[in-house]
Amino acid sequence: MSENVSKEEPIISLKNVSKYFQDKKTIDNVSLDIYRGETFVIMGCSGSGKSTMVRLMTGILKPDEGSIFIKGKDIAKISSEELDEVRKTFGMLFQYSALLDSLTVEENVALPIKEHAKLADEIIDIIIKMKLSLVGLRGYEKYYPSQISGGMRKRVGLARAIALDPDIVFYDEPTSGLDPVVGGAIDKLIKELSEKLLITSVVITHDMQSVFNIADRVAMIHKGRIVDVMPAKVLNNSSNPYIQQFINGRPNGPIDFFKEDINIEEIFGL
Amino acid sequence: MITKIGKTAIELAKNITGVFSLLVSILYWAVVGPFKGKAAARQSIFSQMIFAGLSSGLIVFFVTIFTGIVLAMQSAYQLQKMGAVLYVASLVAISLCRELSPVLTALVVAGRVGSAIAAELGTMKVSEQIEALETMAINPVRFLAVPRFLALFFMLPCLTIIGNISGMLGGYLVGVYSLKINPDLYIQTTFKYLEIKDIYTGITKSFVFAVIIALIGCFEGLNTKGGAEGVGRATTRSVVISFILIILADCVVTAIFYFSKI
Repeated sequence: MSENVSKEEPIISLKNVSKYFQDKKTIDNVSLDIYRGETFVIMGCSGSGKSTMVRLMTGILKPDEGSIFIKGKDIAKISSEELDEVRKTFGMLFQYSALLDSLTVEENVALPIKEHAKLADEIIDIIIKMKLSLVGLRGYEKYYPSQISGGMRKRVGLARAIALDPDIVFYDEPTSGLDPVVGGAIDKLIKELSEKLLITSVVITHDMQSVFNIADRVAMIHKGRIVDVMPAKVLNNSSNPYIQQFINGRPNGPIDFFKEDINIEEIFGL
Repeated sequence: MITKIGKTAIELAKNITGVFSLLVSILYWAVVGPFKGKAAARQSIFSQMIFAGLSSGLIVFFVTIFTGIVLAMQSAYQLQKMGAVLYVASLVAISLCRELSPVLTALVVAGRVGSAIAAELGTMKVSEQIEALETMAINPVRFLAVPRFLALFFMLPCLTIIGNISGMLGGYLVGVYSLKINPDLYIQTTFKYLEIKDIYTGITKSFVFAVIIALIGCFEGLNTKGGAEGVGRATTRSVVISFILIILADCVVTAIFYFSKI
């Protein structure tokens, strides 16, 4: 896929983006292009800046340097009304689903439709039923988020994310906290949605199983920097030591996450 | 030491500007929003009105009726010495309408509703629900803060009127059954000295208090940081700050009425 898309205009484009949190550079001069229809996975350890990246792309956070283009619009510079217009064309699945507790499943899915589309209630009902059957949750319309399991909440979150037929869907750790079977089902859903509905998917994860299941292209991020971007097919053969350490889950290597923190010999005085 | 004072001052200034910008955006969405076809959901305003108003009715009733009773007994103790027990009626009525009922109702509502607003919005904030609203291009101020603000703005004065009536009822009970004042005479004396301006100064105060409670509750909730502990902190802060501001605003508004001879 990546071979023929690279000539197209990217749908999301980051140019030299940096973001600071209290003088600490969380995102360091990142440039990235994501193309229409592909499933792009950003992987990295906890605290590497993955979540910050997606929050920059959704306009929740503003970059301190550089610019972020979504469909050619610099979302850091446009007005909040224009940003809202851009936001209507994308959906987001949150790590903990972020469903509104006070609304039922169907009200949660209906929320973006009711807010942004002037449609009759009957039509909205049909759309909700369609979206819920896409994620396999027909019959749970009247339940509250607290009454269903974590995996089901994720699927409701997914139904809400695709409620307005978006062009882009962002997934923040879609499989974290789920058992492997449900995680696999979510992966399958993501894959199906991007194929059936031609959605561009941007997935943040550290679940390697998920990466191999869904990704077209993969970016590895470490300490706020992009280490490498490559097609998922060649991931296993990559010579990049960061990627090798990450996909094999080795504690020792260039990613020195624990080195300073844990020194057992010193702790026990050996 | 100096840096600490400086940091606290900067923090305070940030909070004050934050509260005012929240007020501006609430007013924008409440007043201008409907003309742009972006009104707050009516259903959510009504459900907030039921929560903030109707469900607070009973507790306001009890707090003010007992205050009325205590007020009648304490003033009777003083007035008996001058043989002016009859004036318990007007004293209770005026002090309730002008001062006690608006303030006590506001304090009760700040404890009950303001804290609930902070806790609810705070939980929504830490569980990414607010962020989810933003990515769905739904303004959280319009969607969450405006219904709560409007509900309190209209319900607190209503609760204050309930407080006025039930407080006077408390006074009546003491006056008639303990001080043996003729019931008709008690009611007559109550309304003889109670002027309409006594009532509307009290109601005016309750509008101001409603703004304070809603604003502080929403501000603390929407600015919650750091998990369950943060929600707890936001809830406590919202109650403490509302209490202080209510008393302060009461002092200021009373002074304005006093010096402008209203």
